[in-house]
Amino acid sequence: MDKKLGFLGFGILFGFALSRVGASDFDLILGMFLGADYTLIGVIGIAVVVGFIGMQLIKKFEQPTISGESLKISYKELKPWSLVGAGIFGLGWGISGACPGTVLAQLGEGKVFGFFTFAGMIVGTYIYARLKEERPEL
Amino acid sequence: MIATLLRTIFVDPWPFWAGGMIIGLLVPLLYYYYNTALGVSTGYGNLVKIFLPSRHLEWIKTKFPETWSWRVYFIIGIILGGFISSALAGNAGLTTEMGRFTDTVQWPGLLTAIYFFVGGVLLGLGARIAGGCTSGHSIHGLANLHISSMLASAMFVIGGIIAANLVRVTLLGGVW
Repeated sequence: MDKKLGFLGFGILFGFALSRVGASDFDLILGMFLGADYTLIGVIGIAVVVGFIGMQLIKKFEQPTISGESLKISYKELKPWSLVGAGIFGLGWGISGACPGTVLAQLGEGKVFGFFTFAGMIVGTYIYARLKEERPEL
Repeated sequence: MIATLLRTIFVDPWPFWAGGMIIGLLVPLLYYYYNTALGVSTGYGNLVKIFLPSRHLEWIKTKFPETWSWRVYFIIGIILGGFISSALAGNAGLTTEMGRFTDTVQWPGLLTAIYFFVGGVLLGLGARIAGGCTSGHSIHGLANLHISSMLASAMFVIGGIIAANLVRVTLLGGVW
């Protein structure tokens, strides 16, 4: 299947699932960080376990990818600034009650303030692109 | 019987494990079909290229040669998925609801908009410096047992706990 069409379909599935479990809900995200609601910890925990098992399975397939290519698993290198960036990301997560995926589900749900989180994310990414001109180590 | 099943899938909220399984399955499925890692936040670079004058920036030029790449389609899909979910549950249309924030904080809309915008800027900037977000690090990376993703996820959570507690104490009256 065409990659773009396929990702459109997988995106719909992803957004639907995020919305259905309440990952796009401000209260569930804040509740997770305040130790008051464990729903999303359960979601992420199950997702990691299922993802891990699934990856072990496809590695055992004679053909781990449908095209016959060998698996190219992306490893995100840890740069010195990465952990600082992750801390900044966490602050944004706790303030907005959203992350880059769930804010998209919020948009689909018609949450008006989610649009501002989304716009902020585009601007934040733009700021990164500008910073990167002067500081290639980022 | 079939009506109940359809209702459980398409109308009612899902139990956490059902959503977790679907989301987790995306990791091997995307590798199997497209040899591609699950990830959302990199696609915001495509959105920068689409919405902001940025084509002269080196990072945009080198990392996003194709403006309308699969990442944009993934983003559009997630938005559509959220729309379908809320429409089927009978909640289509715009809402200014943001849970306890909009219940408790009686700010003018513009100030609330700025608040969420600032949160978004931190998310966008932080995700790029960290090299990924919740899906790329905390789901894809953890499912592949990557050390860098474990450390990044730990920092996500530390930042989130700090911010959520600050919000609770300063804006939400200290209660939750």
